[in-house]
Amino acid sequence: MTAIVGYTGRAFLVSTHAFFSACTLILDTAYWLTIGPLRGRGFRFRAAVEQFVLVGFNSLPIVMLITLLLGAILAMQSAHQLSGFGVSYLVPDLVAVAAMRELAPLMTAILIAGRSGSAFTAEIGTMRVSEEIDALEVMGLNPTKYLVIPKFVGTTLAVPMVTMIGTFTMILGGFLISTSYLGQDAAIYIKSSADALTMKDFANGLTKSVFFAIVICMVGVYRGFQVEGGAEGVGKKTTSSVVTSIFLIVLLDVVFTYLFFSKS
Amino acid sequence: MVETTDNLIEVTDLVVKYGDRTVLDGVTFNVPRGETFVILGGSGSGKSTLLRNLVGLMRPHSGCIMFDGKDFTQMNDYDRVEMRKKMGMCFQGSALFGSSTVGENVAMPLLEHTNLERSTIDIMVKIKLELVGLGGFEDYMPAELSGGMRKRAGLARAMAMDPTVIFYDEPSAGLDPIVGAGLDMLILKLKQTFALTSIVVTHELASVELIADCVCMLDGGRVVGLGTLEEVKRSPNAFVQQFFERRANEEGEDNAQYLKALTGDAE
Repeated sequence: MTAIVGYTGRAFLVSTHAFFSACTLILDTAYWLTIGPLRGRGFRFRAAVEQFVLVGFNSLPIVMLITLLLGAILAMQSAHQLSGFGVSYLVPDLVAVAAMRELAPLMTAILIAGRSGSAFTAEIGTMRVSEEIDALEVMGLNPTKYLVIPKFVGTTLAVPMVTMIGTFTMILGGFLISTSYLGQDAAIYIKSSADALTMKDFANGLTKSVFFAIVICMVGVYRGFQVEGGAEGVGKKTTSSVVTSIFLIVLLDVVFTYLFFSKS
Repeated sequence: MVETTDNLIEVTDLVVKYGDRTVLDGVTFNVPRGETFVILGGSGSGKSTLLRNLVGLMRPHSGCIMFDGKDFTQMNDYDRVEMRKKMGMCFQGSALFGSSTVGENVAMPLLEHTNLERSTIDIMVKIKLELVGLGGFEDYMPAELSGGMRKRAGLARAMAMDPTVIFYDEPSAGLDPIVGAGLDMLILKLKQTFALTSIVVTHELASVELIADCVCMLDGGRVVGLGTLEEVKRSPNAFVQQFFERRANEEGEDNAQYLKALTGDAE
């Protein structure tokens, strides 16, 4: 019995501490993003651009490839199902709506969480282990301003843009399969896709991707700052960073889908 | 006392705790301006914790640290940053930023805290690197340097803002005796040239003999010896005698003490 109480108590203390340190990080980030630069305490523009290139531009090949293939898979699968009902002309609608609303934002976020979120954790974790974060503080350089803000700005700009490109390539994947393998007319495919998409779909995909970006960045750096005890610690937190990010992304996706589409 | 006005750092009754475990217990000492103050102690004596408190990387449980007449523990973040411009720290593993060159590392505090032209900063970086004997190494990456050179580069970075005090965390740890002695000579040179106050955490007796003006000896989080090296050596305290005579503990004693420290069972 005492063991259970002890375990619960410890778990509670650990999670409260984790909650408070996450809140501190979020507040600190908000300060250095808004009030800090206004008070003339600087903003590292070049570093933000570097992060934008690292997170966004460099992830384009893999995101485009995966979304293109997913679009193709989606077209083939749906054509197979829909032809049974004689409505295979709905393939372009299905691919376009699924890509814009759901699959492209989700897939892009998961890919970038695996690619860049883990890199954030590993970078900050290694800096913690080798006392570089301490060195920043002793030099009077704020680690949040120096390390987190450029990543935050770079990621929140890059992810929505990459998502939109991913949406396009996913629709393109469907287009290629439909026009070649399924023998649909190219002009009709394009028109059906365009007709199927609404502004709401676009808003949904874009809003989601901004929040996914925030999750990827904040989880990545938070786990990085949590690293303790050498190379093994870096490895552990990097894994947990990716797992936490993906979980939170899917959870947020549920919330967004509910908010946008529960009543329609 | 007239003496107190000449102190750069005054630590009074400092208590630091990790959870329920007391790591530093009522530590009190003064560091006179321009002197080399050595913090000595065995592994786990709390000397690294003391150093982290002195540079403000940790907040103490109670007690105060006066730095240049101001209480460093009660300061807001803004004043703390201002204070830190007067401090330099040389880390045990040098803590150079691995993704930047040696020159960029040294330039970093200057770029952040001053409005100097880039060309002026480049000249200052050259001067600082010359000072520690690393002239011409600006474009090297930290990974391309040897352990001793990395420490020197770390020292150049600590010197970048012309601080009034430099903290050294185990400067000669992991270095061969010749390189270690070279670093000791450098600490002496900087002290003589710039009238720098230095605070050195170490357990290397040879280096203490060479550089120390004043010694503070810690054991189990308490000060067990304070004064010049000669005064501390004459202390009747059993741990101090054991430390200077390099006598090992009785077998088993170490483990029992360690276990006691971990469980927080003070009595």
